[in-house]
Amino acid sequence: MEKKSVSVTLENVTKKFKDVKGKADVIAVNNADFVVEPGELVTLLGPSGCGKTTTLRMVAGFELPTDGKILIGDTDVTMLPPNKRDTATMFQSYGLFPHMSVFDNVAYGLKLRKIPSEEIKKRVNESLELVGLATYGDRAPSKLSGGQQQRVALARSLIVTPSVLLLDEPLSNLDALLREQMRVEIKRIQKSLGITAIYVTHDRVEAMSLSDRVIVMKNGFIRQIGAPDVIYEQPDSRFVAGFVGKAAFFPVEIGSHEKGLWSCNLGGKEVKVAQAAPDVKKGDSAVLMARPESLRLEKTGLGHIDGKVRMNVYLGNSLESFVQTPFGEVLVQIDDPHSKKVYREGEDVSIGFSPDRVRILSRSED
Amino acid sequence: MFTKKRIIQFCLAAMVFIAADVWMYHSLNNSFSVYVEQRNNNEVGLFVQTAPEDQSDIALWLSGVSTIIPSSQAMYFAYDETSFDFKPTKDGSQVAEELWLANRQNPLFAQALESAYYLESMQLPSTFQATIDGERVPAKIFFAPIIAENGYEATGAVMILVPTSSASDFARLLRILAIGAGVAFLAIAWVITFTRDPVTGFMVLGLFIIVGIFVAFPLFEAIRLSFIRQGSFSFEAWKMALSPSYIVALWGSLRLGVSTATISTILGFIIAFLVERTSFKQKKLITTLATMPVISPPFSLSLSVILLFGNNGLISKQLLQLHNTSIYGLGGLTLVQTISMFPIAFLTISGVLRQIDSTVEDASLDLSATRWQTFKSITLPLTVPGILSAWMLVFTNSLADFANPLLLSGNLRVLSTEAYMMVTGRMNDLGGGAVLSFLLLLPTVSAFMVQRFWVSRKSFVTVTGKPSTSLTELTTTPVRRILSGVTWAVLGFILMLYLTIIAGCFVRNWGIDYTFTWENWKAIPDSWDSITSTVLLALVSAPVAGIIAMVAAMLIVRKKFPGKRLLEVLMMTPYAIPGTLIGIAYVIAFNKQPLILVGTGAIIVINYVIRELPVGLENGITALHQIDPSIEEAAQDLGADVPTVFKTIVLPLVRPAFISSMSYTFVRAMTAVSAIIFLISAKWYHLTIKILSYSENLRFGLASVLCTILIVIVLGVFALMQILVRDDKLTQKTISTR
Repeated sequence: MEKKSVSVTLENVTKKFKDVKGKADVIAVNNADFVVEPGELVTLLGPSGCGKTTTLRMVAGFELPTDGKILIGDTDVTMLPPNKRDTATMFQSYGLFPHMSVFDNVAYGLKLRKIPSEEIKKRVNESLELVGLATYGDRAPSKLSGGQQQRVALARSLIVTPSVLLLDEPLSNLDALLREQMRVEIKRIQKSLGITAIYVTHDRVEAMSLSDRVIVMKNGFIRQIGAPDVIYEQPDSRFVAGFVGKAAFFPVEIGSHEKGLWSCNLGGKEVKVAQAAPDVKKGDSAVLMARPESLRLEKTGLGHIDGKVRMNVYLGNSLESFVQTPFGEVLVQIDDPHSKKVYREGEDVSIGFSPDRVRILSRSED
Repeated sequence: MFTKKRIIQFCLAAMVFIAADVWMYHSLNNSFSVYVEQRNNNEVGLFVQTAPEDQSDIALWLSGVSTIIPSSQAMYFAYDETSFDFKPTKDGSQVAEELWLANRQNPLFAQALESAYYLESMQLPSTFQATIDGERVPAKIFFAPIIAENGYEATGAVMILVPTSSASDFARLLRILAIGAGVAFLAIAWVITFTRDPVTGFMVLGLFIIVGIFVAFPLFEAIRLSFIRQGSFSFEAWKMALSPSYIVALWGSLRLGVSTATISTILGFIIAFLVERTSFKQKKLITTLATMPVISPPFSLSLSVILLFGNNGLISKQLLQLHNTSIYGLGGLTLVQTISMFPIAFLTISGVLRQIDSTVEDASLDLSATRWQTFKSITLPLTVPGILSAWMLVFTNSLADFANPLLLSGNLRVLSTEAYMMVTGRMNDLGGGAVLSFLLLLPTVSAFMVQRFWVSRKSFVTVTGKPSTSLTELTTTPVRRILSGVTWAVLGFILMLYLTIIAGCFVRNWGIDYTFTWENWKAIPDSWDSITSTVLLALVSAPVAGIIAMVAAMLIVRKKFPGKRLLEVLMMTPYAIPGTLIGIAYVIAFNKQPLILVGTGAIIVINYVIRELPVGLENGITALHQIDPSIEEAAQDLGADVPTVFKTIVLPLVRPAFISSMSYTFVRAMTAVSAIIFLISAKWYHLTIKILSYSENLRFGLASVLCTILIVIVLGVFALMQILVRDDKLTQKTISTR
């Protein structure tokens, strides 16, 4: 069963589709260029229509790139059909064969490989056991719950020992609790088998919790590649910052940059900021990005932005304060609210932050 | 995909093959012409040796030349000892003499005669045009001396002209084959070099070849022939078709189509409304009875109408003593066509009525509209697209109908039978038949187009996926009674027609002698050959049509390839074309090299497959649209190539559509008439044609027996297929819920 892990490489891959009338080209994926390291789990994250599923389908072989090359390990697979690639895909709708029993579904790939039926039986039973469905072999897929169907799909993909596992929003049809369980399960199996995996999702929590690295996409472009914490803490654009988490943006003018600190003009006040996206420079009009948990509430005049608490939402382990400021309503998250001073609705407050917890981004909405 | 390397590869392969192809063509062609020349030389030599000594026998001897060299002509030159020259005589064929008179100034002829003087045979190097039976044909000319017994002097000479048409036929065949091989090779090489998935490429190529040869080519040939008269381009056939005498036939077809379509649609709507929109009880029974005419042979109903209402009919003559009315003509034909075609309207309209969510009617009633207002302003407008397409469908079918008019048209002239008469009758004019069928194509294709692109687009019905269980009763009890009265009357009439056929099996001589007899059943052993060949051909075509339809559906729904739209259109074309035209086009196209198929069973099977493919294709496409593509992708991902995916995933999943298109093809093949009548042969006879000829000869007992047999076979197979499909309800359900 043991197999050497392989990398997946996309070299300048572009995919164009014809639009509905068959006239103009629609660019679904624009010049995607990245490497998934052996044994790594990388997530393609983005809103619907951003090209993440198309990218995955090109790796699986269901779509042919208009341009560029795809390599699995050192082999160029760009022109190979899906059945000639060492990949296994888990589909959003599972793609179980409705006319076959659970056993036959899982055994399908092995039968195609002309493996003796005794061994097929042994291996299918082993893998059904691995996903906790040992006694379900005779059932029709339609007689299983969503989570069970999901596991059958997983068993069916893994039994052919693929080098690359491709997951196309596999958890989106499950309820919240089951989703969390399966997430852990998938990660565990992927790590224990050392399979290289590409995971497509539009759910940022899923992306954060599963991935070694996240690739954020929008309109066919890759916007940022990085580890989950890097993507969250150090987004390079307003789009990435807003897509992977809640964020407030304040317009600023960038002044000087010395000793690793940028000084900016925020509504007439000077503030110090430790981080900035690579594309901002002195004199730019930019925005200051702050996560709700990086902000704190202080007495009027003590912080950087004055405002008035409009509403408090109590969540148990935290409290969300919605503060009306000259820049619009700002969400401030107060963790462990019992140990902190809480300002009541209607009270005047000031929002403060420390320089290393905020980031300057270019003003562009993208 | 189009890398420089592949393009070079392809071009090299193409060049090598084309060179080989051209070389083979030329060497075959050359060696054949050398062979023909030698053979002709030898035969001329042999022929000359058999010359009679007696001059008076020369004419008889010359006329025998065509038995030695096929279709050759000869004339005799006598040696004139005074002028030391050969003089032409009147002995021999006129054709040869005309040629001689036309060419005698030609020095070659003089030279040839001179060599005859020196006892040498000679073949003239160039080819001459001779006029045989009013047609100009190319011919080779031989001169040979007739040597006297002493062996050193010529008593005369013969000129023999040998038409080269058989040789040029061969050359033409060779050329077609060479070009065909070249095109096939290029296409295959193209698929191998430039496609990522050659199997799909080959399947697409195969489908294109099938529709190209068996749809596009025959239609093209039919069009071409319709513009050709006596070997040259002319509009004569079209002028003839547009002459008043045939416009009458077109008018007859249209009148028949309009009246049948209108009455059928009204009937279909009444019954559909009763079944789908009221609390009426025996819905199952009604549906079954109403669909019976669809699967029964086309003139079974005509037959029983003749038995009941014909000149010697049971009802018209025996019961009512009518003598002046005739069932033959527009009225009777409309009656029979309505009975056999209203099920189409019924099925179409009930499909639409079923889809209308009853809650919209509830909403209307709730807003205090009366039931009549609700029906008028809600239900009826929502059904209009269905009603229109039902009308178009019946109209098309009525125009294309051939079997019923053949038996019942009387004085009414309709195009489908006129076309048939044109081809088979005294005129024996294939081109004219084709033109008349094309005339029929105009209204049917426009109805088809309107139905497909306009009516279907106006459809208001939306599939919500939540069928409402409650049904609002829109009719009052008296209205419902009237509707069900009409329905039962119609169905009772249908039942009576079928019972008449059964009764006809046991009556000695219908109309004259109603004594019971088993004698008619001898039709079964008499027609045993046609029964077996009919069933055999239908059994062969059903799976072929089914498989091709499903493969094509998979390619069209799931794959991307250039020319997809064209392929779809070509595959759907036979649906809109009257069977008469297809039959005539097939006779025109497949009666010459390299595809001589007329007279074989193959052409009948091909005809069934091509004609029933559109319905199977539609079934398959609908079925595939309901299947999540990721099921197939999962299979491919697990290592299955395209054929394996088709065999293990697609075919089992579309099994209901597959089986129903097979059973449809089978039923249609068993009951075919219009195209088949041109294609049958002594060896491959069809039961329906047998029934037709019995009916035409007024041997109604025998016809009834064969009709009954046909109905029993069709019903049996139909029931079997239904069971097979029902077996599969589970799969069907899981597919649609996934």
